[in-house]
Amino acid sequence: MLQLLKIEWLKIKNYRTFQILAGLYIVSIFGINYITHYIYTFNTHMQQANGMVKALMGNPPFEFPEVWQTITWITGFLLFIPGLLIIISITNEYSYKTHRQNVINGLTRSQFILVKMALVVIIALASTLFVFITALIFGLTSGGSGISFTNIDYVADFFIQALSYGSVALLFGVLFKRSGVAIGVFFLFVTVIERMLSSITNHYFDGAGDYFPLRTNADLIPFPFFRPIVGHLVKNPDTLYLLICSGVYLVIYFFIIKRKFETDDL
Amino acid sequence: MNILTLNSITKFYGQIHALNNVSLKVPEGSVFGILGPNGSGKTTMLGIVMDILRPTSGTFQLFEKEPSANSRKQIGTLLETPNFYPYLSAEKNLRITAEIKGKGFDEIDDVLQKVDLLKRKTSKFSAFSLGMKQRLAIAAALLGNPEVLVFDEPTNGLDPVGIAEIRELIKLLAIEGKTIIMASHILDEVEKVCTHVAILKNGNLITAGSVDEVLVNEDIIEVYATDINKLLEVIRSLNGYSNIKTTTNSIQLWYPNGIANLEDINRHCFNNGIVLNHLQLKKKSLESRFLELTNN
Repeated sequence: MLQLLKIEWLKIKNYRTFQILAGLYIVSIFGINYITHYIYTFNTHMQQANGMVKALMGNPPFEFPEVWQTITWITGFLLFIPGLLIIISITNEYSYKTHRQNVINGLTRSQFILVKMALVVIIALASTLFVFITALIFGLTSGGSGISFTNIDYVADFFIQALSYGSVALLFGVLFKRSGVAIGVFFLFVTVIERMLSSITNHYFDGAGDYFPLRTNADLIPFPFFRPIVGHLVKNPDTLYLLICSGVYLVIYFFIIKRKFETDDL
Repeated sequence: MNILTLNSITKFYGQIHALNNVSLKVPEGSVFGILGPNGSGKTTMLGIVMDILRPTSGTFQLFEKEPSANSRKQIGTLLETPNFYPYLSAEKNLRITAEIKGKGFDEIDDVLQKVDLLKRKTSKFSAFSLGMKQRLAIAAALLGNPEVLVFDEPTNGLDPVGIAEIRELIKLLAIEGKTIIMASHILDEVEKVCTHVAILKNGNLITAGSVDEVLVNEDIIEVYATDINKLLEVIRSLNGYSNIKTTTNSIQLWYPNGIANLEDINRHCFNNGIVLNHLQLKKKSLESRFLELTNN
């Protein structure tokens, strides 16, 4: 596997698009959290006199231990970028026909697609690492009562979420083969289509829409602001069920991806 | 040993019947040409052997064993188009090939030298001309000094000098004892370098065997005379022909390429009391043979 990853590394190491997007992604993880932090502190500062605010907002979201939930929730909005990286990585092979050449030269089809799956895992791990570091930085600089790893499981939930986005991206890449179509469908699916289907299903079948592929992951990390109010208004599905569903979906994605690549004409 | 054995390979693309029950054997050390017009199934056949296409039915063996990724590592292949990462240099592309094949990087300069691309090794693949891309693909196939090479239209996109160079290279590889499987629609190319040939048409294997058997390249001399029976008798006493065919009013004499002498035949007949009313040399070209085989 190490040998296969080395080959994958040779492919992406000098790929400018990949470098730029990956760089921007890392900057954006910090950036989006910084902006949210800025807006949040600005608002609370204005209303500092009001004693009601504290009751509405709950514990400060950028202080330990709430910061884990806050940062992972906010960063969830950026997960389409690693998805994009994965789609590019697979659809490039299709458009250069290098997936064929790799197999001709002596990779098995399984090896080829397993490396792409490994890439999904690695990118998810890297995303999680950056989220962890970002949360640590915000937690440490926001004052409060020192470092705390309570609620650190939100970081693990984020990893599951990153893994799911990456796998869906790889799935769309393998199914559509052309980067334009794959990226378009992936983006629409992530932003609109799934939410729409999920809401419609939720309306007709009480709560079932929460178990749609990416919803299950998103719901793992609840809305981190106005916690005291939100907690009363929205009933989040059970975490254990969500984790099981996420696992099942991941297995299904990987199974379809592997099966499709191993049996199709390339 | 047979390098490649196909057993009743059939391939459908939806309704299109790309290969129909093709069986053949490629012996070790041969230069095996696969000849056929565009769309006859040459690339499909090689694609199946290289595991990038799935046969609808049939099996094949490489090195008389069930095909595997490891057997592909021992074959240098250029299939259809040169496939490389356009944003990487020639050298970095070959590094990926070497990594996949499990070979070291030290041969990269050698193979680039062989195809005359050493000076451009740091140029990006996307900056290459079609001919250079083709040569890089041949360099990639040569990596690791494989005993078997598969070339699909190897001279595609090359200029006349490049074509001659690649043919020389193929001949050189053949002298080194390597087995070469080459698909082409250019008859001349096959005639010049191949020892064996298979002819495909619309997915059917029309014929396969050694070049001498399949593409008999002989001179045919056609003679008529009024007394056809006497003529036949006289003609039979001639030397050097390889075959005689008779039709109702003419006789065809087959000679190995280049030794037929019309004057001798004419003199021989006249001395034996036969006056010919028709004497013609017909060159049987590879092309007419190919057309004969593919247009039934």
